[in-house]
Order: sequence, then structure tokens, then C-alpha cells
Amino acid sequence: MFYVALRILLYDKIRSLITLLGVVFAVGLIFNQLGIFLGLMETSSVIIDHTPGDIWVTSKNSKNFDFSQPFPEYIYNQTIADPEILSAEKLIVAWGIIRQKEGGTEQVEVVGFNPDTGVGGPWDMLAGDTRYLKNGNFAIVDESAMKRLGKIQVGEYRDVLFHRLQIVGISRGVKSFTTAPILFTSFELAQRLVTYMGSDSTVFVVAKIKPGASVDQVIARLQQRLKGVDVFTAADFSMKTRKYWAIETGVGFSFMLTIVISFLVGMLIVGQTIYNSTMEHIKEFGTLKALGASNSDIYRIIFSQAIINAMLGYIFSLIITVSTVKLYEAGGMVMVVRGWVNFLVLGLTLLMCLGAAFVSVRRIKSIDPAILFRG
Amino acid sequence: MSQAIVTTALSKVYREGKIEVTALASIDVALMEGEVVGLFGPSGSGKTTLLSILGCILRPTSGSLGIYGHETSILSEKDLPDIRRRFISFIFQGFNLFPALTAYENVILGLKMKGITGSDATQRATRIMAEVGLADRMKFLPRDLSGGQRQRVAVARALAADSPIILADEPTGNLDHSNGRKVMELLREMASSQQRCVIVATHDNRIEDLFDRVLYMEDGSILREKRG
Ligand SMILES: Nc1ncnc2c1ncn2[C@@H]1O[C@H](COP(=O)(O)OP(=O)(O)O)[C@@H](O)[C@H]1O
Ligand SMILES: [Mg+2]
Repeated sequence: MFYVALRILLYDKIRSLITLLGVVFAVGLIFNQLGIFLGLMETSSVIIDHTPGDIWVTSKNSKNFDFSQPFPEYIYNQTIADPEILSAEKLIVAWGIIRQKEGGTEQVEVVGFNPDTGVGGPWDMLAGDTRYLKNGNFAIVDESAMKRLGKIQVGEYRDVLFHRLQIVGISRGVKSFTTAPILFTSFELAQRLVTYMGSDSTVFVVAKIKPGASVDQVIARLQQRLKGVDVFTAADFSMKTRKYWAIETGVGFSFMLTIVISFLVGMLIVGQTIYNSTMEHIKEFGTLKALGASNSDIYRIIFSQAIINAMLGYIFSLIITVSTVKLYEAGGMVMVVRGWVNFLVLGLTLLMCLGAAFVSVRRIKSIDPAILFRG
Repeated sequence: MSQAIVTTALSKVYREGKIEVTALASIDVALMEGEVVGLFGPSGSGKTTLLSILGCILRPTSGSLGIYGHETSILSEKDLPDIRRRFISFIFQGFNLFPALTAYENVILGLKMKGITGSDATQRATRIMAEVGLADRMKFLPRDLSGGQRQRVAVARALAADSPIILADEPTGNLDHSNGRKVMELLREMASSQQRCVIVATHDNRIEDLFDRVLYMEDGSILREKRG
């Protein structure tokens, strides 16, 4: 039956090609939207996910990584005083303004961390070193920031929040959902730069627990002891940040909508051509029934057509998607292509094509024998 | 000689909204194994309706239909494919071959519907294609064959599986006289030598001499019959 389906598709090459293009287009769009959405989600929590630490202490009702309120530094002392906390670091994430070379300004996300431990700092350096940030007005910018800030070289000076900072390193792979360039400094410098914070405040405390201790128990204890803050596992805070950007900003919805529309358009195209082809062959299918084929014998031919469309369309879309990943990277975007995403899209593609075939199946069920006898 | 098909008081009324058309009034007929029967009558006399019911692709409004002793009026819809698979093959005026499949593949697909696959199917298909004189046309698509050749492929498809009953509706309707006659002669020869029961609906009087028995229909009834 698979063979018959294949022959029917090959016989009408133009129509099959158009259908295939439709599937490739729809599935390619699904791949693309899903990949970019997941890329944005990963980007939104990329610093949390790369920061070694089991527990994040944030201001009360903090919704995400990028817009958290400061809280007093003594919370840090109380955190580290817990018997099952191994170590803890303060981390500042705040907003600042950088002056462009040719005038004008850009908003930057300033991340102030402890250069001695590197906790909360960059994890992949193109040039320079995080330790150079110590004792002075020094900063590291991410490679991805150069699109917005222009070419920056180690040793250059830039004005950030009315302070002249020397660039001592270029990091790689650090981005935020907000698309604002990320600038790393030492914790002390960030505290001085970001004047709205107050000189004895921090934005996060990131802590590690002792081996064998239970994260949940430590968190429960900290929640009770610390006033005016929230305490999360790193994974929970990462998820909270992703959810904020996906759901509360409506971004997830718009991606979802595009995916749903692509799915429906693909279904329509496949459904339409399979239906037309079925109608054109209705006499032959009816003849098979007259010879003793059951409905399900004929359904198999029709579903095989759908599966062939789905598989070919999927493979081409996957090839196109994989080969454009680099293009997106060059454009400063991350498109996620990964095993489970591919499986998900494969499932969606099959669902799309098989769903489309159902309309035709209903016609087979009710073939009017009179049609067979027409000359 | 045993009975292949027996009908009693078989009738068919088509309903379209409020209009009722009595296509078959009350048909009592018995058709034997090895018999080649012609079903003659003007257009609209009910020939196609009768063939559809005998072939179990249309259900009668009332009456009974026995196929090799199986009373079909008591069978459910989902049992009918099995009856068709075991006993019945069709030949149509419009050939109804898959345009995407070669002549040979059309025969193979017909065999598959009858549950015959593998080397048994390929041997049968090759042999029957030779018998209908198309050994050198096996790999041709229907569009590359003449009308007469296409109908011979359809004959091959119908006969390949050894179905005891062959139903043909206007098999010569799309063919010129000499080609039509050749196809009918072929069908007759192959069927009667294999003891099939063949019923051919037609209004082509020029092939009347090829039948063992001829039934004349008018207004849904069999008016008279003639033995050849
Ligand atoms: N599907 C149908 N619906 C309604 N009336 C039909 C249908 N098929 C046939 N008829 C009517 O039944 C009668 C017999 O038709 P048919 O069996 O096709 O005759 P024949 O094959 O001898 O020309 C005609 O009056 C025709 O109009
Ligand atoms: Mg007719």
C-alpha cells in the first residue's frame, strides 16, 4: 500500500512538489519559531544556569533575573551563617547607561560579581581574564554586545554611568532576554556605579550547600529566618525567569500563535492535495473496494501518502533548519536545534499530515457505487 | 452444474428526497457456474443497479440474494468485503485502472485485494498478462495503452484471482466495434474454459451471439430470456 501511495505521488510530480514545498514551509516555520523561542528562553536564564550555586536569595516577589530589587547586605551574613551553607556570594544585576563613541547612549545590564571566585561572572573568555576586574574601574563586555556598542577592544575606555571604565576582557555567550548588552564589573565597582542601590545593598545572594545537605531543608530554614526576601533553588529561579519572559510578556503566546498557524496552514495544504488526489482516484479506490478491499485497506494508501509527505517535508525542513543555525548566530540570535525538539517537530509534522488525511478517509467510507460505472 | 447466484424477489428503490425511483421491480434469477450471460436492455432499465447488487456493492431494498449459498441479506455491511473478495470481480466501462501504476502493477494490486501476494501473485499476473496478449505491455502505464488494451488489463485484473463470478458493466462501451468484440471474445473464452459465471450488462446487440444466455430487461424487470 505504501508502494501504491508512493507511485501515486510520483505520478503527479507537480502537485506532489507543491505539497512538499507547503510541508517544508510549514514545518520549517515551526522549527524556526520553536527554535528561536527556546533560544530566547535559554538566553533569558543563561547567567543563572552558568553560575555555580544551589540557592538564589532574591528580593521579595522578584519575578526574574533582570529586574530584581536590591536588599540589605546583612542578608548575606545571615545566609552564610546557616550551618549547612558551604559558601555564598553577592551578585548585583542592575541597569546602567553607556555612552557611545559617536555620542548617544545605550542601556546596559551591569553584572557585579566577586572576581576572586568568579561566581556570577562570565564563563567563557575570548580575551582578558575576570581577575583583571579587581581594584579599579574595569569592565568586561560580551562579544554579542558589539552589535550595539560598536567594535570594542581590550584596553579601550568607555563611560558607564558617568565613570570612565577600562575594558579588560571580552566574554562570549552572555546575553539577556532584554537584548541589552551585558557588562561585567567587580561587585564593589557595581555598588559604586549604580547609585540608586545604596552602598550596603546587593541584588542576589548565590549560595552553595554542604555536601549531603538537603536543598529543600536549607531553603525552608532560610525562608523562615530571612525577612523581606525570597529563596529559590537555582533551577526554580531559572524557570521563574523563563516563565516571566515567556508568559507575562506575551512573547511565548505570539510564538505559540505562529506555530499553531503554521501547523494549520500545513494541514490545509496537505489536506487539500490529498483530498484532491483521493477524489481523482475515487473510481480506482472504489474498484479496489469492489474487488474486496476493506475501507482500512484504502485508508492505508491514503495515510501512506500523508506519511510520505510528512517524512520528506520533515527531512528537508530539518536540513534547512540545521544549515541556517549559523546564519542566526551571525545575526545575534540563538536557534535551538536539539534531539527532543526534533522529535517534537517530527510528531507535530506527522500529526499535521495524518490529521489532514482524515478528510479524505471520510470520502472513502461513503463511495457511491454509481461512480464506478460511469464511463 | 451448480448455482453461483440466486435471487428471489430482489428489488431496489432509489430515494432522492420525496422522489422514489423503482430501479428493480422483482428479480428472480438463477445464474450457473460456467455460464456466460448477457444482460440486455435500454438505458435506465436497471442493468447497472442489478450488477451492483449482485456484486454486493449496493444493497437491495428487499428480496434475497444468495452467492454460492451465502445469503447476503442477513450479512452486515462489514462482512460484504469478504464476500466480494472470495467470489466477485468486476470489469467496468471506464476500465478504472490506477493511472500511476503499470498494467502489471494494476493486476498485482487487484490480486492483493484478493489476498494473493508474493510469488504466487507475480506468477499469476505474468501468466494472465500473456493470456490477454499484453506480455510486451506489462510495464506500460494505462495512458500509453489503447482503449482495447486497457480493457484487456481490466479483464486480466478481474480474472487473475480466480473469482468464480465476473460482473462486467458495458465492457465494450468505450471501445470501437472490432476492439469491443475482441475483448468480449477473450473474456468469454477465458471465463468459460475456467467455469466462471460471467454476467455482462450491455446494450450492444452486435455481441449478442457471444452469450450462452441472454436476459432482456426493461423498467427494472427481466422480460424474457433466450438461450444461445
Ligand atoms: N444512484 C441513483 N440514485 C437515483 N436513481 C438512480 C441511481 N442510479 C440509478 N438510478 C435510476 O435507476 C434506474 C436504473 O438505472 P441503471 O441501473 O443505471 O440502468 P441501466 O444501467 O440499465 O442504464 C434509472 O431510472 C436511473 O435513473
Ligand atoms: Mg448502466
